[in-house]
Amino acid sequence: MKTDVPGDRVSVPRTDGAEPVLSVRDLTVTFADPRGGAPVTAVRDLSFDLAAGEVLGLVGESGSGKSTVGLAVLGLHDPRTTTVTGSIRLGGQELVGAGESALREIRGGRAALVFQDALTSLSPFHGVGAQLAEMYRLHHPGATRAEARRRAAEMLDRVGIPADRVRDHPHRFSGGMRQRVMIAMALMNDPRLLIADEPTTALDARVQRQVLDLLGELQREHGTAVLLVSHDLGVVAGTTDRTLVLRGGVRVESAPTAELLAAPREPYTRALVGAALRLDSAPGTALPTVDDPSPARTFRPRVVERPERWLVEVDDLTVHFPGRRRFPGLRAEPVRAVEGVGLRIAPGETVGLVGESGSGKSTTSRVLAGLQRPTSGRVSYDGQDVTNPDRELRRRLSREIQLVFQDPYASLNPRRTVAQTLDTPLRLHTPLTAPERRERAVELLEQVGLDAGHLHRYPHEFSGGQRQRIGIARALAPQPRLIIADEPVSALDVSVQAQVLNLLMELRERLAVAFLFVSHDLAVVRHFCDRVAVMHRGRLVESTDRDRLFGAPHTEYTRGLLAAVH
Amino acid sequence: MLSFVLRRTAQALAVLVAVSAAAFALFYAAPADPARAACGPRCDSGQVAAVRQSMGLDQPLAAQYTDYLTGVLAGRDIDDVDGSTIHCDAPCLGYSYRLHQPVSEALADHLPVTFSLTAGALAVLLVLGLGTGFVSALRHGRRTDRLLSGFTLVGASVQIYFLGYIAQWVLVYSTGLLPLPSYTPPAEDPAAWAGGMLLPWLVLGFVNSAVFARLSRSQLLETMNEEYVRTARAKGLGRLRAHLKYTSRGAAGPLVQLLGLEAGALLGGAVITETVFGLNGVGRFAAQAVAGQDLPAVVGAVLLAACFVVLFVALADLAVAWLDPRVRLS
Repeated sequence: MKTDVPGDRVSVPRTDGAEPVLSVRDLTVTFADPRGGAPVTAVRDLSFDLAAGEVLGLVGESGSGKSTVGLAVLGLHDPRTTTVTGSIRLGGQELVGAGESALREIRGGRAALVFQDALTSLSPFHGVGAQLAEMYRLHHPGATRAEARRRAAEMLDRVGIPADRVRDHPHRFSGGMRQRVMIAMALMNDPRLLIADEPTTALDARVQRQVLDLLGELQREHGTAVLLVSHDLGVVAGTTDRTLVLRGGVRVESAPTAELLAAPREPYTRALVGAALRLDSAPGTALPTVDDPSPARTFRPRVVERPERWLVEVDDLTVHFPGRRRFPGLRAEPVRAVEGVGLRIAPGETVGLVGESGSGKSTTSRVLAGLQRPTSGRVSYDGQDVTNPDRELRRRLSREIQLVFQDPYASLNPRRTVAQTLDTPLRLHTPLTAPERRERAVELLEQVGLDAGHLHRYPHEFSGGQRQRIGIARALAPQPRLIIADEPVSALDVSVQAQVLNLLMELRERLAVAFLFVSHDLAVVRHFCDRVAVMHRGRLVESTDRDRLFGAPHTEYTRGLLAAVH
Repeated sequence: MLSFVLRRTAQALAVLVAVSAAAFALFYAAPADPARAACGPRCDSGQVAAVRQSMGLDQPLAAQYTDYLTGVLAGRDIDDVDGSTIHCDAPCLGYSYRLHQPVSEALADHLPVTFSLTAGALAVLLVLGLGTGFVSALRHGRRTDRLLSGFTLVGASVQIYFLGYIAQWVLVYSTGLLPLPSYTPPAEDPAAWAGGMLLPWLVLGFVNSAVFARLSRSQLLETMNEEYVRTARAKGLGRLRAHLKYTSRGAAGPLVQLLGLEAGALLGGAVITETVFGLNGVGRFAAQAVAGQDLPAVVGAVLLAACFVVLFVALADLAVAWLDPRVRLS
C-alpha cells in the first residue's frame, strides 16, 4: 500500500508494505473559548503516517499545536470544549468519534503517553511499582495483583530502577529516574504506539542523553512506533527517523530528519534550525530568527581586559542550608549548597556560570544579588565588602545589580501593567519626575523591541518572549552595572531564545553592562559568554576563557558535560 | 513516618500543657472570687476564708498548678465546703463545689450526648459536604453546580437557632415526621437513640456542611487539572474512576484538616444546638457552669474542649501525612 501524504518530500519507505501503525488524515482540532470568544483552531488539516518501529519527530514552538496532536490520538481532550474532525486510525481502527470504552482500551494498552514532567505526571501518592502494576492490571483484567507487581518490578529493573526502590514514591527519585519510570510505565503493555511529549525537556543535558538513549533502546527492542513531540531540534536530530515541522497548527514541511536539518526547504524551518545553537556555531553572532532568517547585523568582537578593579570578587564562598532532622533531638546535617567558590567579574564582562541542577549555581548568584547571606567567605562589589551591607550600600547594590529570572510568567506581577512594573525601579532609584519616568519607560521598552503601545497592558497579554523582554527592560531601568540572569532563556522556545539572545548581545554592546549568566545550557553559554565557570555539587570545577573551556576542557566532569550536548 | 508521628505527638502535648496553664490562669483572672462563688451567697467572710483554705486557694499559685496537674495525671483528694473529703480519680479536673461532684465525673455524664451529636452531625456533614462538592466539581459551571452552591450557601447563612426552631416546628410539631429530639443511650434502645438525635444531626450537619462543600469543590477543581490525573486517564482509567482514585486523594489534605478541626470543636460542646434541642451535652454543661460562676467546672470544660481540638487536629495531620507521603518530609 502506498500512502500519499500531501507535502511529503519523499515517499516514506514502508516495511513489507504493511499498514502504518498510525495514520492521521485531515486532523483539525478546535477549542471553544469558555468565555464565549471565537473558537481557536489548534491543529488544521494535518496528515501524516507512522510505520511500525519508526520514530517521527513532531516539532514546533509553543502554541504550534504539537501537543494537541498527541492528546487527540488518545481522545484525551475535554469533549465539551473540543471539536476533533478528520481521521486518526490506529492499526486500522478509527479513533475520531470512537466511544469512551473503546478509547479506554487503547489508552495505555495499544497507545501510551509519556509526558514532559514526570514529577507532576506521576501520582505523588502511590509507589512507582504500584503505578506500573495498575497500568498492567487495567489492560490485563485476569491478572492477579502478584503477577502485576512482578511485571512492574521486571519493567522497572529493565530501565535501571533497582528492586528495593519499587515501593518508593516519585519524589524520592531524581528527575532522570522519574522519567525512566514514566517510560517503563508507558511500555508496560507493549504498546504499538508511544507518544512522548517533550520527554526530556525538564532534564539536564547529560540526563537527557541517557533518557533518550534508553528510549531508543526500548523502542528497538519492542518495535514500537514513536511520535516524539519536541520544541528542541537537538533532541529530534539524534533520535528520530523523520521530522514534521508544525507552525500555528499547520504543517510546514516534513522530511527524513537528517535531510531536514541539513537542507531545510522552508524559511521557517531554516530559522528554527539556525536558531538552535550547537557547539560548532560561531559564538557571538546574531542568530537567525523566524522574522529574520538571515540576519545582517554583526556584533563587535568582545575584548575584555584584566581590569584595575574587579566589579565582583568572590573568595572562598560557602553557603550551607539547615538540613532536615532525621529524628527529634538529633543534630541535622547541613546541606552544603556552595563550598569554597571563588569568582571574578570585570566591568562589562559576561561570565557564564554553568552546572546541572543542584550544583549551587543559583545559590551563588543569589548571594551576589544580596538575596542570600553566605555562611562564610568574602564577597565584594566594586571593592566594597557586601556580606554585611549597611543601608546605603544595600541601596546602591539594589540599584547597580539587577536580576532577570528564568520564568517570565512567574516573575512579573500579573496585576500590574507594564508601565507600573517599569515605574517602580525608576521611582526608587532615580530622581526623575513622573512624566520623565514615563518617557524613560517608553525608551526602555523601545530598547527591548517593544513600544509605547505596550505600556498599559498586563503581563498575560504578552507572549513568553515578550514577557522576558519586559523583565529585561525592568532590569535595565536603574541603569545597572551588573545583570544577574538566572536561566533567562531556558523557558523559551529556540526561536524566541534566539531573539532574546540577540537582544542581550545588542544591549551588552550598547550599554557595556556586565552579566553573570547562569545556565545549564552549554551551547547558549558558549554563544553568549566571555568567560565560563563550571560548578558541580557546590564546588567550582573549572573557570576559564570560553574558547579554552570549550576547546580543551581541563576536567573529566566538563568533558562529560560537553559530550552530552547533541 | 515514625519520626513524623513522634514529632507531631510532642507538639500536641506541648500545646496541651500551654492550654492547661492558660485555663488555670483564667481561673484567677475571672472577676469572681472562686471561694465566694463556691460557698454561696449566704456565707459570711469567715466561712469564705475556710472555704478558701479547703480549696487550697491560700497556697502559692505554682503549688496550686502543680496540685492540679498531679490531679490530672494521678488523681487527688479534695475537701468539699462541708468538710467531707472526696477522692477525685485521674484525670481529675478539679471539683465543682456547686454540684458537689468532681468536674471530670460531671463531664463524663454529659459526654455521651455530645459524642452522639458529633458523630451523627459529622456523618451528615461529610455526606452532604463531600457529595455536593464532588457533584459540583464534576458539573463545574453548569446549572447543577450553581444550584448546589446556592443550597450550601443557604446553610452557611442561616443561624442554627433559627433553622433549628423552624425545622423542629415543621418536622416535629406540625407534621410529626420526626420524633421530638431527645437523648436515649444507644445501648438501651438504638432506634430511639437514632430517632431522637436525627433532627439535631441533620440541622447541625447541614449548617456546617457549607464550608466543607465549598472547600471540597474548589479543591477538587484544582486537583482535576493536575497532570497525574491526566496520566491516570492516559493509562486507560475512566473519568470517574480517575477522579475517585487520584483527584480525591490529591484534594483530601485540606478537607481532612478541616474535618479534624470541626470534630474537635463539636466535641468541645455545641452550645446552641444542645440548647435549641434540649440536649444535655457538654456545651450546655459549660454554659450552665459559666452562668453559675462554677469556675472549676468552666476550667474543666475549657480544658476538655482544648484536648479534643488538639487531639483531632493532630489526628488530621497524621491522616494527611499518611495520605500524602511528601508531607512527612516537612
